Amino acid sequence: MTTIMTMCTEPQVMATGTASQGDDLALLGLMQLVSPALPIGAFAWSQGLESAFELDWVNDEASLHAWLAGVLDDGLSRCELPVLARQQAAFMAHDGEAVAYWDAWLAASRETRELAEEDRRLGAALKRLLANLELLPDASALPGLLPEQLGYVTLFAWLAQARAVPTRQTLLGFAWAWLENQLAVACKALPLGHTAAQRIIERLRPELVVAVDHALSRDDHELGPLLPGLALASAQHETQYSRLFRS
Amino acid sequence: MTVFEPLSPQKACPLASGHRFDGERRWAASIDLGFTRRDEPAGPVTRLTRARHQGPLRVQRPFYPEPRDAGGEAGSCHVYLLHPPGGLVSGDALSIGVQVGQGARALVTTPAANKLYRADSHGVAWTQHTSLSVAAGGELEWLPQETIAFDGSRGVQSTEIALEKEARCLGWEVLALGRPAGELPFVSGHLEQRFALTRDGRPLWHERQLLDPTHTRFSGRWGQGGASVQATLWAVGLDDEPAAVDVLREVVPSSPRWAVTVRQGVLLLRYLGDERNEAWAICQAAWAQLRPLLLGREACVPRIWMT
Repeated sequence: MTTIMTMCTEPQVMATGTASQGDDLALLGLMQLVSPALPIGAFAWSQGLESAFELDWVNDEASLHAWLAGVLDDGLSRCELPVLARQQAAFMAHDGEAVAYWDAWLAASRETRELAEEDRRLGAALKRLLANLELLPDASALPGLLPEQLGYVTLFAWLAQARAVPTRQTLLGFAWAWLENQLAVACKALPLGHTAAQRIIERLRPELVVAVDHALSRDDHELGPLLPGLALASAQHETQYSRLFRS
Repeated sequence: MTVFEPLSPQKACPLASGHRFDGERRWAASIDLGFTRRDEPAGPVTRLTRARHQGPLRVQRPFYPEPRDAGGEAGSCHVYLLHPPGGLVSGDALSIGVQVGQGARALVTTPAANKLYRADSHGVAWTQHTSLSVAAGGELEWLPQETIAFDGSRGVQSTEIALEKEARCLGWEVLALGRPAGELPFVSGHLEQRFALTRDGRPLWHERQLLDPTHTRFSGRWGQGGASVQATLWAVGLDDEPAAVDVLREVVPSSPRWAVTVRQGVLLLRYLGDERNEAWAICQAAWAQLRPLLLGREACVPRIWMT
């Protein structure tokens, strides 16, 4: 589907290319967005995982797998992923009110200072990057579509929509980036071996798909993270004596 | 016990399904409290100006255990909220509303723990909905005693907090699962707890917990971590939030079972552990530290907590 916003970042292909060229560019756009090389500093944030190490809640491959599977099911599939789908749909419909609503909803569901900061700072960094690449929507053409200070998830949805990435793939890509980042944290801080990290990926790959299925099937009233332990760990992290990560 | 307003005939009429014991059983009780700041000859004072109730929810006559402040204004209006049955069974639907008017000061607590009993053979749930609203410049402390959920209880407990600009609010919910001392642990049942806080209609904090002992999150560390007692305390309207967090970390003994944070202007203290007394002591100590910072007045411990 071609939209005004799609055209504003992919003009040549949309104007002259074939459908398959468009699909290829969308896939590459998603890979660029989820790459650890994307310069927004995602590697500096652990989402409470560093604190879970310190509390000795996560101390080996098995407990890390359980933690990640839990956060995927009780966190991402009920919070970031369904909001991503809603934001992408809102951008497609040019519904600035819905974009602002879900952006504020997500900010209100952040349990702690560091988790709120992470979303805001990554959002700000991604916004700066997109501005430098001249990929942000023209404010005069689309007034009020992007809230002034918006979170990472909202911007991720914006770029995915601008690049015509299908919704399912947007969610899979986001979840993949999360998993890789969490495993990078574990490799650095636990430490976890790189082969063990790949074993965890192999075990969680099907669960990412399940999480996306769940995310796409939940109604609005079923949304909201169910992570009281992670919330406690993240607040404890604020006073952790020795730390490598900002959350 | 005082009934402030006669029940209208319509409201006094019990719901027809109140004595059913099948899946359609519903037994509603509600109370709607309003606090208003009045200028009186002795100085400004907050009066309980509305107390409409239906079913077994009451308030005692309000009282004023705190001294007048330097400006001659009376301290907070203290009210005890009573639920004579003492707990919720299948089909109960409790609805509590508290509205604090402009500049008014109110403190609401309960005389005893609220008990959530095992669901009936039809597995019918109960609901408890609390709606707190505070107008500009108003102050509300919502300090109920703990809720004890017995094994097998099923229900939804929701708390909505709507604040206007400059409103200040501190509150908590302490929830214990199963009977104390682990004699009868919470091994079945399903509870849902929700919070939603807005300032001038804008959402600042919402949270949802599903307590299902058969789910992996009940024992998983990312979730409940096997904790049988949890507490959540919120405070909104602090002038210096980082300072308030520092004071709590300095004064309340540190432990891996509680932590405090501030996000979007809402201070949140959370406890996950196994001791009701520990959770209660942490909440009470935090309140004692936060009250002077939030309201400019020392904490005045309700006597009913000590009985």
